[in-house]
Amino acid sequence: MVPITPLSLVLLATIVIGVAATLTAWRARPEPGSFPLVAMLAGQSWWSICLVFQIQATTLSEKVFWVDISWIGVVVIPVAWLAFSLDYTGRDQYLRPAYFAVVVVIPAITVGLTLTSDYHTLLYRDSWLVIQNGVLRLGQAVGPWFWVITVYTYLLGLLGSIPIFGLLTSEMRPFRGQSVALLLGTLAPWASNVFYLLGVFDTSGLDPTPVAFSISGVAYLAAVTRFQLFGASPSPTHRARRLVFTQMHDGAVVVDRQDTIVDMNEPAAAILGGEQTQVLGMPSASVIPSYDMLPMDGEAPEPLSIETPNGTNRYDVSVTRIDDVHGRFLGRVISFHDVSEILRERQRLKVLNRVLRHNLRTEANLIAGYADLLADTEETPESRLIKKHTQRIIDVGDKGRTIVELFDTNWATKQPRQVRELLETCISDVSKMHPNARLAIGDIPPESAVSPVLKPVLVNLIENGVEHNTNPKPWVHVSARADDETVAFHVIDDGDGIGEYERAVLARGDETPLEHGSGLGLWLVQWGVDIADGQLEFEDRSSGGTVVTVRVPRFFVADAE
Amino acid sequence: MYGQLICHWRRVWDRNAQKSVVVIKMSNKPNNVSGGTRNQAAVRNLTGWVVESVGHSVAAFRYSSAYLAVIAVVQVLLVTRALSLDVTFAPVVVGLVTFAVYLGDRIADADTDAETTPERAAFIQQHEHALNHAVSLSYGVAVALAVLGGPYALALTLLPGVFWVLYASNWLPTITAQFRRLKDVLLVNSLVVAFAWAVTLTALPLAFAGASVTPAAIVVFAYFFLSIFVNVEIPNVRDAEGDSAIGVETLPVVFGVTRTRRILYAIDIVTALIVVVAGAQGLLAPVFVAALLVGLAFSLCVTSLVGRTAHDDVLTLAAESEYLVVAIALIPAAL
Repeated sequence: MVPITPLSLVLLATIVIGVAATLTAWRARPEPGSFPLVAMLAGQSWWSICLVFQIQATTLSEKVFWVDISWIGVVVIPVAWLAFSLDYTGRDQYLRPAYFAVVVVIPAITVGLTLTSDYHTLLYRDSWLVIQNGVLRLGQAVGPWFWVITVYTYLLGLLGSIPIFGLLTSEMRPFRGQSVALLLGTLAPWASNVFYLLGVFDTSGLDPTPVAFSISGVAYLAAVTRFQLFGASPSPTHRARRLVFTQMHDGAVVVDRQDTIVDMNEPAAAILGGEQTQVLGMPSASVIPSYDMLPMDGEAPEPLSIETPNGTNRYDVSVTRIDDVHGRFLGRVISFHDVSEILRERQRLKVLNRVLRHNLRTEANLIAGYADLLADTEETPESRLIKKHTQRIIDVGDKGRTIVELFDTNWATKQPRQVRELLETCISDVSKMHPNARLAIGDIPPESAVSPVLKPVLVNLIENGVEHNTNPKPWVHVSARADDETVAFHVIDDGDGIGEYERAVLARGDETPLEHGSGLGLWLVQWGVDIADGQLEFEDRSSGGTVVTVRVPRFFVADAE
Repeated sequence: MYGQLICHWRRVWDRNAQKSVVVIKMSNKPNNVSGGTRNQAAVRNLTGWVVESVGHSVAAFRYSSAYLAVIAVVQVLLVTRALSLDVTFAPVVVGLVTFAVYLGDRIADADTDAETTPERAAFIQQHEHALNHAVSLSYGVAVALAVLGGPYALALTLLPGVFWVLYASNWLPTITAQFRRLKDVLLVNSLVVAFAWAVTLTALPLAFAGASVTPAAIVVFAYFFLSIFVNVEIPNVRDAEGDSAIGVETLPVVFGVTRTRRILYAIDIVTALIVVVAGAQGLLAPVFVAALLVGLAFSLCVTSLVGRTAHDDVLTLAAESEYLVVAIALIPAAL
């Protein structure tokens, strides 16, 4: 049996850790990077095992044999590290058999040279036995190929480290931990190998690299167990970013500093009417209509019209500037969002709106006028009914106009309104239309303001309380309470109440031909509250009527001014 | 017997676990109990904890395949003793490899084992993370210790792991599929398992000790090969219906239970004859021959129960414990 020395104990510990880490990585299959990691750890373990046997060998031929055999593990490590790095970080497109065959040429030659070492001096020029401190050691003078494989190993190691270095700045904490552990596990044996080759430490002719594998094994185990190496993998992110670009519905074009098109996705090619291969490399101005009119950064103020064989399509165009880490301008991404259908629908709505607001209202006013004339000569129940229903048509038209204004107005740019002034205005407006109504204002918080969109909302709620009310003198009470962040308006009436059916339609946010509300008023309220970023609640009063609560963000008086 | 012992411990543990719940409830009201009651409660609490811990340990020992590792260690010690070899790390290496391979296999098959061995599958699934680390660490230590035994010892230690990886991985689908289909052929599965274990048990101590293969070593190999073959076929009686349904040919499937029992009797008797002849030739010490015959007598008793008991798990455990009987039989001689 092999005698136990401090060095062999360290190497045995390295083997224990290496084999354990190999099996741990093996269990992670088929996670990206697991198989190359198994190969790398197995290579490290093999190198360590061979070193133990080499140390314990007593003849020159035996020692040389174990050194030669150890090269199998030595050359596997850098190839596996590169494969792991590419696979793990999602760059598996470089792991094709053809590329792999090229990468393993030099390692394969190296193994071939070790198997035929008796016939050449390319790897080692000479080998001899030497006794140092009473211990039999192997001395070897390296040949030219040794430096070839050494430089090649370091090159692969460096290439493999680059993608892992990229994870050091990842926003995801486990990735940062993984990359630190992986780089530590790789740098430790590298450093010891460099020190050995430079002769920094006296190692009595022994390459201490396998000893450093104990650090590698611990680091890799930590990466697997502590930092979820195969539980949280960055492999999809690299490809996902490309997929977002290529698979997105919008067209996207990348232009460089000289406004040359350097990349584009398929929707962009379809929008601009050309093949990707033809368009790439062309000046942007020759491909993108009105290119000179586009902003350098941000959204174009007007949709861009592009002629196609099927007619003119219109696109919202946004330009995003691309800078490097030093803030230097590299190029731009220009995206095209098809708004043709939206604009067509908006156009149709405008026509319908005009018909409803103008034509219908005009005709309704004429009917009401003739009904008045009829009533002047002989007022009958029929003429009163004509006037009543005509007025309803006019009211619907008015509400439609209010809703259009609600959506056409940019409320964010409007000054907030003080609660007291707002409520007094609302009450005043409704009083003019319904002089019989008893309208009252309750508590109002001082120094509070709200979005001005609340004006049509509150007017409609108060009107609703008055109009859907069978009392000869309808009663509506309005108050407000405020906390640090919100203002809650309470509109209380003694009317007929708002049915569950109406509330359900509002809560669903959609109408069908069979399930719909009774008018536009409550929709106006709901949409106005949505614009104000608020909440709307309905509650029945025990004594009859409804309590409607509108809760909206609070502005302070200073904001209102 | 061993299974009955475990069942007994489990019943005791369950009863005491219920008691300990009562004690905990009482302990929440210290003002309502006297000092004597508190002392009794404390004693019951302690007893419950001890029994619970023992119960957990027994479950872990059984379900994690640690008991198989202990039997493997005993087997290698028997080889070491039979061949008069130096005591080395070989028993530890075989024990660790056995533990790693069997436990790794149980973890991999935990889902499919949930129907046939629900308690074991539940234990494995509950402690899967820790058990996975145990597998990795034990195989790592085994490989490192095998390095101390030299290249041959290392190769013998790596072989079960390599086969296990090939079998479990489906890495090379064609080869793996053919390898897996081997077990469907009559006797092949049992012969391969018996051969692999007999080689490992016999060759590893030789490799560690740097000894060469002797006629005595061949006899020891033959003993383990035949006895392990019997132990592998005994559980096949329990699985006969299932094996037949999926087309796996085993002795009970092809020959029926009664003829299987007779075949296993015959193998035990042939094994005994080999041991006796080896003793007569001076290849094995008389004491060792006697101990092996005691073990074979035990094996005959176990074989006689094949197909005649509903406690198949206990029967399997008893068959695997044959080597413990041999070791116990050697104790008087050692003293």
